Amino acid sequence: MTLHSRIRRFFLPSLTPRFLIRVCFVAVFAYLFFGHVLLPIRIQGTSMEPTYRNGGMNFCWKLRYLFSKPERHDVVAVRFAGNRVMLLKRVVALEGEQIEFRDGELFVDGKEIAEPYVVYPCNWNLPPRRVEKGSVYVVGDNRNMPLEHHYFGQTTLKRVIGVPLW
Amino acid sequence: MVKLKYILIAIVIVGLGLLATRYLFQSEEKRVRKQFDRLSEYVSKEPDENVMATANKMQKLGSLFGDSCELQVSVEALSGTYTREEIASYAARARSRFSRVSLEFYDPEVVFPERDVAKVTLTARLTGQTRAGERMRETRELECLLKKSEKKWLFTHIAVIEVLQK
Repeated sequence: MTLHSRIRRFFLPSLTPRFLIRVCFVAVFAYLFFGHVLLPIRIQGTSMEPTYRNGGMNFCWKLRYLFSKPERHDVVAVRFAGNRVMLLKRVVALEGEQIEFRDGELFVDGKEIAEPYVVYPCNWNLPPRRVEKGSVYVVGDNRNMPLEHHYFGQTTLKRVIGVPLW
Repeated sequence: MVKLKYILIAIVIVGLGLLATRYLFQSEEKRVRKQFDRLSEYVSKEPDENVMATANKMQKLGSLFGDSCELQVSVEALSGTYTREEIASYAARARSRFSRVSLEFYDPEVVFPERDVAKVTLTARLTGQTRAGERMRETRELECLLKKSEKKWLFTHIAVIEVLQK
């Protein structure tokens, strides 16, 4: 078989039943995999900058917490009513822990936590509060805005559906 | 060969029949979903919208709600029960602050807890630009109750679900 005919066969395959079955199989697999396991996502908003830029592309890996729970500093995807819209936030406190912000610094159970991913200046002050059982406390990396304008807080583990792939 | 021809004709007829049934006989769930499409259409605004179009949209917006509609949000000052005229009036005032507004709904899940009552959980995203040029994007999970009155599904309760609790 010549190279030309091989290329031709690759791009213009004959529609044999075997080929059609293969196409159907690939289509079903892609639908299930990219619809339920590795969701393509487009990042909108600046709340996770500079770690994740507005307009960036990524994938949400939904099997990450199949056998484990989120840990501190993990970036997680928090779902709304369904899978089409989700929030990308960083876990800063786990269940049972007490969280507070003092002059922009994060304190968990009274101990200051280093956050190298927070690059922009922050002057938040948030009184201490305890994270409820079955929940985590999530915040964006970009805290260069008034506390009232940043959407963050405690969410249940049921809403944490995965992590960005990179 | 003849057999195959008849099978293909039968498949086409069945397909057309299914499509016709789908479009001619709307299910109650579809009617409920349609109300959200209408709500989205009436709230959304393009920069070139004229006064007549605004008035028409606000009148139509009011007709989507029951005699009274309870609004439940985290901001106490906004929570309460409103008449459809009040809702239309507030919406008109709010829209006037924006040069462009778009309301989109994602992942609606419709259940019928009792006869003539529909409960819908979904994600709502409001994006826009104020007349001052400031961009706005707010995403919230909503739980809505609609009641059927004179063959129309009308909004009677809208609650904002707190996905993140500060």
